Amino acid sequence: METPLQTGYEAISYYGHKPSSNIENREEKRLASPRASAAKELYFEAKSSVSIEFPYWYTRRWEELEGEIPIVRRGESLKAGFEHLTPVIYPGELLVMGKAGYLRGSYPMPWLSEAFFMAAEDKLYQEALNSGKLTADTFTTVGKGGGNVTGSSGNVISLAGKFGLRVEELPVLLEVAKKWYGKSVDDVGHRYEQLVPGYSEKEALMRSVICMFDSGYTLPQGREVINFYYPLQYGIDGIIRICEEGISDTAGYPDMDRIYFYTGVISMLKGIRSWISNYAEEANFLASIEKDEKQKNEYLDIAERLEWISTKPPRTFHDALQVIWIFHVAVLNEDAISGLSPGRIGQILYPYWKRDMEKGIIDRERTLELLECMRIKFTEIDCFASMGVVGGVLSGNTFNNLCIGGLKKDGTQAANELEMLILESGITCDTPQPTLSLLYDEKLPEEFLLKGVECTKIGTGYPAWVNNQVAMEFLLNNYGHEGMQIEEARAWAIGGCLETSPGSWMPLNLDGKIHWIPGGSAPATSVGVHFLSLPKLLEVVLFDGMDMRSGQRIFPSHGFDLKTYDELWKAFQTYFHRAVHVLTLTNNIQHDAWRKISPSLVNSMLKPDCLERGKDIGQMGSRYNTTFNVESCGTANLVNSLASLKKNVFDEKNFSLKDYQSAILANFGYKTAQETGSYSLLDQVATADYQNWKKIHKFSLEAPKFGNDDSYVDSIMAQWENWFCTMTHEFRSLYDQPLYACQISVSTHGPMGAVTLASPDGRLAGTTFSDGSMSASPGTDRNGPYALFESASCWNHSLSQNSQMNIKIHPSVVKGREGSRKFLELIRSYMRKGGFHVQFNIVDSRMLKQAQEEPEKYRSLLVRVAGFTQYWVELGKQIQDEVISRTEYEEL
Amino acid sequence: MGTPQLTGGYLFDIQGFSIHDGPGCRTLIFLKGCPMRCEWCSNPEGIRPFSEPLYNPSKCTMDLLCKEACPYEAITVADQSLLINRDICRTCSTNACMDACFTGAIRKAGYFITMADLFKKIQRDRQYWGANGGITLTGGEPFLQPDFAKAILKKCFESFIHTSVETCGNIPWGNISQSLDWLDWIFFDLKHINPVKHKKATGTTNNNVLKNARVLAEKFPGRLIFRIPLIPGFNDDENSLSELAEFILSTGKEEVNIIPAHHMGREKYNLLGQSYYTKEFKIPSADDLFKASQYFTKAGITCYLGSDTPF
Repeated sequence: METPLQTGYEAISYYGHKPSSNIENREEKRLASPRASAAKELYFEAKSSVSIEFPYWYTRRWEELEGEIPIVRRGESLKAGFEHLTPVIYPGELLVMGKAGYLRGSYPMPWLSEAFFMAAEDKLYQEALNSGKLTADTFTTVGKGGGNVTGSSGNVISLAGKFGLRVEELPVLLEVAKKWYGKSVDDVGHRYEQLVPGYSEKEALMRSVICMFDSGYTLPQGREVINFYYPLQYGIDGIIRICEEGISDTAGYPDMDRIYFYTGVISMLKGIRSWISNYAEEANFLASIEKDEKQKNEYLDIAERLEWISTKPPRTFHDALQVIWIFHVAVLNEDAISGLSPGRIGQILYPYWKRDMEKGIIDRERTLELLECMRIKFTEIDCFASMGVVGGVLSGNTFNNLCIGGLKKDGTQAANELEMLILESGITCDTPQPTLSLLYDEKLPEEFLLKGVECTKIGTGYPAWVNNQVAMEFLLNNYGHEGMQIEEARAWAIGGCLETSPGSWMPLNLDGKIHWIPGGSAPATSVGVHFLSLPKLLEVVLFDGMDMRSGQRIFPSHGFDLKTYDELWKAFQTYFHRAVHVLTLTNNIQHDAWRKISPSLVNSMLKPDCLERGKDIGQMGSRYNTTFNVESCGTANLVNSLASLKKNVFDEKNFSLKDYQSAILANFGYKTAQETGSYSLLDQVATADYQNWKKIHKFSLEAPKFGNDDSYVDSIMAQWENWFCTMTHEFRSLYDQPLYACQISVSTHGPMGAVTLASPDGRLAGTTFSDGSMSASPGTDRNGPYALFESASCWNHSLSQNSQMNIKIHPSVVKGREGSRKFLELIRSYMRKGGFHVQFNIVDSRMLKQAQEEPEKYRSLLVRVAGFTQYWVELGKQIQDEVISRTEYEEL
Repeated sequence: MGTPQLTGGYLFDIQGFSIHDGPGCRTLIFLKGCPMRCEWCSNPEGIRPFSEPLYNPSKCTMDLLCKEACPYEAITVADQSLLINRDICRTCSTNACMDACFTGAIRKAGYFITMADLFKKIQRDRQYWGANGGITLTGGEPFLQPDFAKAILKKCFESFIHTSVETCGNIPWGNISQSLDWLDWIFFDLKHINPVKHKKATGTTNNNVLKNARVLAEKFPGRLIFRIPLIPGFNDDENSLSELAEFILSTGKEEVNIIPAHHMGREKYNLLGQSYYTKEFKIPSADDLFKASQYFTKAGITCYLGSDTPF
């Protein structure tokens, strides 16, 4: 017998009136310039593609320099890679250059890890599979539509379920990959991490997907804010001169280690110089064959600009924007990186823009056009990584977060006219990148905030609203011991999707006047312990150390008899602590391998104070270094599960723990999500066995749920947060700094949910967890946004690097002028209560359902997932289902 | 002396972040019970002044556990579905049937809330309203529970909370008057001026409504806005609208908010074991709304359409 899900969940969860039958469109939006619209169309046609130019030349040079000092060898190899990138310029582009020769180009970096792009039958891949490192890939779905190359066809083969590679390049790729066998960061790190006592527990944690990913070789950099000061102030040749001076000052002296760093930087910069010159040459060539006079002049203009900035600092806003884009891409090309954020470029570029406006060489219309072109360029960024990383963590997103608002160095508000245009370009040219974050502060002008609301309302999910004061408090708490003071705390921005990242103010000298510009001032965050599955860990607690899905033991018995709630909580703490311990040590070793084999040169050169200190970021050259963290996933499911057990087992004694164990193994009498192909609680199918479990399932679903202002469960949330955010400080990073809590799910709640059995909150096996950390579990927040906010503010958000709240609102709710003003009141009230972050999907859930059925009609539909905006069709089904099932707030 | 009675009353919902029912963002408090029986009512679960079961047959697995659990034998089986004798439920103070139900097929509409609990929720919500927010009592008809309504309004008013009410007006003047000192804002519903038509569509004549409107317009110092649900085939004709405009002018008030009829409450009738009240009516188009508004604007009355209000 099959009956549809009978859990009391509506087909779509609503709060307020069920909307009328017509699907409500998002509010009307304005159109982009013809130039940007054409570029966007071109983008929609483009597929994610990898080329092997860079890895081939990099590896070749690396081999030639066998025996050279690693950082010098690295600089030379990067140089070889950069100078061999084929320049490709598309008609109509105002900003040029990209990661690789394709429009959505990227390339694998076998020096980090060579295993994942080996063919499935390859012995290396099998070895990796056996060691458990690739299990996460097996449980991840990648979106089937859009630019993803999910299957091989013709002369193109599909890599990692997303990227296309020309078939003739495959043998070269495999040949290059083999050169790194046993030598890559992955392989070397793996060799040495096994020296950590209790290493087998780490393998078990990875195999059971309690931990999603290794850190050191997957995405070793990113989730940080880039710093553009040096290239803007000094130009490439200026930086080379700084390095040369550094060499003459230190050569032969006791601190002469610095000369190797400077030598590496010089090589790398020469590579970048050639890369830019090659593009200039290409632009000149294109101009020489172009018939259209206007296009010809544009090519000549590009050539002139590139020639200038290949050596010198920028002269204009347009120059400076091109410089920013070049160095952004340059950093992306040195490592597998997601979440490299340009930061507060509206404030960095403002002095150039204002000067150009005063001189009359640019106007608002042209500025908007340039900013639209910039959006397209950022959207073209792809990150090559394994399917698990690309689909499971990133959903194909690269998290280039542009921040607006916040405060200046002197504590006055920082929003400016250029940022108003950045918001406008986000409205006219709606693309996933760069995503926008508005650093909310009470000092920001109302007009600016309402512009932010207007942009949020078009439904793209950006800007995310982030609390400036809470972030500063977090930074001062966690970087104070490195000397951070309040002035510098103001220079922060979001790195990646939602990682609070420290910054610095740098003195940009323009026409003799100093402008203090903000920029990143620390290496990657979101490194360390990559995503711990909280509900899965609770499952292992309930089965005393066993992963019942795979039948393997993860931990030895926790030794608690679980007679009281307190013991259950202690057992959970014990296992959590144990997991963080072993994962911190092993990942420290991986990062040590990374800094030895593949030290950062591009990013290091940009980050203060690496150039002054003559040290790369792996040697703590940057100003702040407390960036390792412990990431969690499935917070609401954990907290709701604990509440359900507390109530049903310990307080009211409706069921025993044994009952729960049996119910979990029986999946409450339902088919699993894998069997039904639906990954939310909607549309699940009961089996005949359901009769045996319906009582415990009902009690579980009806137990108090986070997000309803119910102190029974909110106090459990507070207990968890206060403990989690403190216990992380016990652990030390590679740089001997304490770790802190990071609470974003990105897309990991999909695959992590997929391997987790039913949970005591009534969630069924294989279904996606709740997203973020402050979002309610889909469909369980039944008392509206105020109750949700009240629940979320039950703890102090500045204890954590972040906390994440997603809300889905029906477009009719915030319609019109009054809708905008009241929407701002809603956002502002959460910020005033100390909420760190809130973001919105302004969308009719039924439109998402329809888009799932007819993806071809919704190529340009954007939705907000957990810290990012992505094309609907490029999301995996696990995540699509979760977004559909989120409670939708209706018109009242 | 007996034990003091708890101050409180019957609600069927509280909703935060309402943006159409008064200035700013508001919390709506739905009081249960209404003297009218409007054909287009979108909150039928608010009509009866006591709690009652909502039964959703499409979720029912017919395991009859609710029937076994009911202490008053109010549930019988008929035609592959449950038949609930709601007259019995009226006096029931248990939740036995819904507690026994595993599928959520039986839920309850309406519950008693104490003033203290309600005010706690209001205190919570006021942190999130932002500028100009407040509470709006609606329903049902809030003034059917006059003492409870007054208690809420007084408590809020004294706590510097903006207070508003939406009333159908068909209640004794005394029910309204005792709350007036604690009110900032009133939405007063008008449906039709013709008493016969009014009675046919709402079950009651409009004598009281019109009388209360006049007195209120004269005595209430706060903002009074008339609200008219625009129901095609009932009050969207020239005559009806002109009369309504004329009446409003005669009260000396100058604002009206026209609310287009909608079908959003339709499903609730099934849950209440009732058939949808009215024959089909079409939902007014933007054009219909605009046309209707002309009767008022021409008369010099400021007219707000639907949720497009300047507050």
